[in-house]
Amino acid sequence: MAIAGNLEVFNFIDIFQILKKDKKDGILVVENEDKKFAVYFKEGNILYIREVVKVFHIYLDVEFEQVLEKDGVSKEDLYRVLVAKLPLLLAVKKGKFSFTPGFIRYPPYIEPIIPIEKIIMYLSRQLTPEEVERKISDLNLIFEKSENWRLIAEKAHLTDVERKILDYIDGERTVKQIMEEAKVKQLTLQRALYGFLATGLITRKKKVKRKIGFNLTKNLLRKIVERIKGL
Amino acid sequence: MGDKVQKQIKIVVAGPYAAGKTQFINTVSEIETVKTEAKTTKSGEKEVKSHTTVAMDFGKITIDDEHVLYLFGTPGQSRFDFMWDILGKGMLGLVVLVDSTDPSTFHEARKIINFFESRYPAPFVVGCNKQDLESAWDPEDIRTALDLDEDVKVLPLVALDKDSVKNVLLALLEEIAKYI
Repeated sequence: MAIAGNLEVFNFIDIFQILKKDKKDGILVVENEDKKFAVYFKEGNILYIREVVKVFHIYLDVEFEQVLEKDGVSKEDLYRVLVAKLPLLLAVKKGKFSFTPGFIRYPPYIEPIIPIEKIIMYLSRQLTPEEVERKISDLNLIFEKSENWRLIAEKAHLTDVERKILDYIDGERTVKQIMEEAKVKQLTLQRALYGFLATGLITRKKKVKRKIGFNLTKNLLRKIVERIKGL
Repeated sequence: MGDKVQKQIKIVVAGPYAAGKTQFINTVSEIETVKTEAKTTKSGEKEVKSHTTVAMDFGKITIDDEHVLYLFGTPGQSRFDFMWDILGKGMLGLVVLVDSTDPSTFHEARKIINFFESRYPAPFVVGCNKQDLESAWDPEDIRTALDLDEDVKVLPLVALDKDSVKNVLLALLEEIAKYI
């Protein structure tokens, strides 16, 4: 199954959200006319970024240690290299992406250094009004904190404004109410909520009671089920 | 005289542009789907398909002498969202379709879910269409992209395949059963 698309319509936050959710290992390839990046993921976090001339070069090495050796990077240099390459990667706004799950073998002693939650929140602060509309399209939406929100908040390195917004999320207040009570601009709030959703800090509030717009009996439902089965 | 008026039951099939709504209905409808299509003129849309639904599509499944199930397909583009409002009223449930090969449609699907959830919170399921294509995303990844909880059914779908469409409809009916 593919995880591939175009960055203009599915941005890095959206991609990282998916890779983080299932703690995926693998290689994300990002390419446009100018550059080609291979982003190495371990358990949903970015471990290493490398620029390549040809995409097939990425698939020549199955062992991560070989990759580092070819690039002349030691384990101690990983953080420095990542911090240097990350802005270059995140500046790419147009181009194709595709994720290959698995493929690369990581040695157990190499662990991700920068939590993906922190990167997601950093990116969410730059979202355009058009981008935030994709997920926060309605001011009547209600969100609630997820079970492990404290742990995620720690990793996400929230700003004071984001912490304040998070305080107001209680499964009762709408986006509009939070905006009024917290006295924050709509775009600031939408950006924070987009980031919170992607990191898993918050979830959309579940509907407790759903409404069926027809007086349906169990007997009639059974008939409908039988009819559909018999089609 | 003597002719019974059949009660109409409505299931709405919504989803972004070119997600396969008309095909979904056509695959199980006992009549040829009634289409309200116009020639696609907008740049970016006409490259995808030549005609698009502008009001609604509908298909029909007779349940018994007294009841008919109608499947209403909404227009995909948000500029026709007034039709979503009209079709949402009185619906039994909602099927939201996404094109599994086109992640740009996932955000549009989320907006559609937001719309119906805030106005007509009927039981709903998500059908991830075009699962027969190599570039299709896994339904579980689509679930994450749509910010959907584990309790929402996100199902693989090939709208051309009758059994696949039936599977999605039966999953929706299972959801509906929880609320009667």
